[in-house]
Amino acid sequence: MSMNKQISRFDLTERAIHWMSAISFVYAALTGLALWSHKLYWLASVFGGGPTVRGMHPWGGVLFAVSLGFMFRRWARVMQLDSDDKVWMKNSHLYAMHRDQELPETGRFNAGQKMMFWMQSAFAVLLFASGLVLWFPEIAPRSARLLAVLVHPLAAIGSIGGIILHIYMGTAVVPGALRAMTRGTVSQGWAASHHPKWFRELSKH
Amino acid sequence: MTTTVAKLVDTSLCIGCKACELACQEWNDQEFTLGTFDGTYQTLPDLEHNFWNLIKFNEFERDGQMSWLMAKYQCMHCADPGCLRACPAPGAIIQRPNGIVDFVHDNCIGCGYCITGCPFDVPRLSPKTKKVYKCSLCSDRTSVGMAPACIKTCPTNCLTFGARDELLRKADSRAEQLRGNGDQDAGVYNPEGVGGTNVIYVLRDAKNPESYGLPKDPGIPWTLSLWKGPVKWLGSMVFLGGILGAFLHFVRYGPKDHGDEHE
Repeated sequence: MSMNKQISRFDLTERAIHWMSAISFVYAALTGLALWSHKLYWLASVFGGGPTVRGMHPWGGVLFAVSLGFMFRRWARVMQLDSDDKVWMKNSHLYAMHRDQELPETGRFNAGQKMMFWMQSAFAVLLFASGLVLWFPEIAPRSARLLAVLVHPLAAIGSIGGIILHIYMGTAVVPGALRAMTRGTVSQGWAASHHPKWFRELSKH
Repeated sequence: MTTTVAKLVDTSLCIGCKACELACQEWNDQEFTLGTFDGTYQTLPDLEHNFWNLIKFNEFERDGQMSWLMAKYQCMHCADPGCLRACPAPGAIIQRPNGIVDFVHDNCIGCGYCITGCPFDVPRLSPKTKKVYKCSLCSDRTSVGMAPACIKTCPTNCLTFGARDELLRKADSRAEQLRGNGDQDAGVYNPEGVGGTNVIYVLRDAKNPESYGLPKDPGIPWTLSLWKGPVKWLGSMVFLGGILGAFLHFVRYGPKDHGDEHE
């Protein structure tokens, strides 16, 4: 069996949802950073000026929340952590050092990817709730707004920090991962090496 | 050095004529919109984006008689303004050398963070222009040596304008006079929590500023201080540290084996 044969990893729907969330996230993150620090306010000019950024940033967030809702419906089950994942998480430093063979075999997603999914979901809920409060300061009670000005940046820091890792992994650390998100396919060798349990499942059918 | 200016409100001299409200509307060319009539003498229940100066007619009972504690309510022009700390748009809120806290509407983006940052609940968002408004202490008048419109029109000298140091002395001596006249709790309202204000009050009952509709101990909200301080450092650390960490990791470990190279 040739290991260069391409197999499907993400179908068109999954890729569409992923890019919808990626684009809305980057837009919301960059416009959010513009309002986060005076030093980054120049970003507001890039995105059409302060009032435009103030008006559109929340809609970027809404789009992100919607795409995350789709993602959640699609992947929540496959992202459930099992006992192998717990062992994997405990030894995740081995993964960082590329000693993957010492870790439990992974299925469609490894424990790190699953954690990313759950953490980003949790941050998104916090961002959406606090963002809604900040969107309508004339309606929201002051106590809620005072809490939101703390929750929104904290959740954003966690979320953007996670995305820096996510983009680094997907583009630089795991060759072939980016193609899975653009074209949807990976080679059989890639699947067997990075997600052996998933590959065996696929081969059975 | 520019002198810090201030407005002194001697509530014991306010007769509730509302001339200051009208002068403010006139000078600032505000379109008056009818509000709710709630059965009191107060013009509107609260400040509005086009109504920056409100006499609060706080009702109370003394010896079975209804009476008023009247207090002028407007921007307090804090020395440490919560609105300015919260504002994300550079130059939208400025503190002039004479102490006036001014909104520059060309730079305002209408986010409303100043509304959250203000301990006195003063700034108001206009639904029409999507910008925030409040009393400017008539910075267009004071910059050319004129007194603010409200002060110019006050018939009882309840309102005075001048150098802050002088007015503070005046307020102290007036409070002492009131105490001598039997108002034992008379005192000056110049809250420390916001570094002092450039609108200073003489209250007959300084122990209960709430009864005049003024917060007892206003200050910069702690969530605002955290947000603009440690949270910002944490963010810089995570963002820059994340990028640097990724770079160093790549230099040390490089990419994982490509599956195609197996077998």
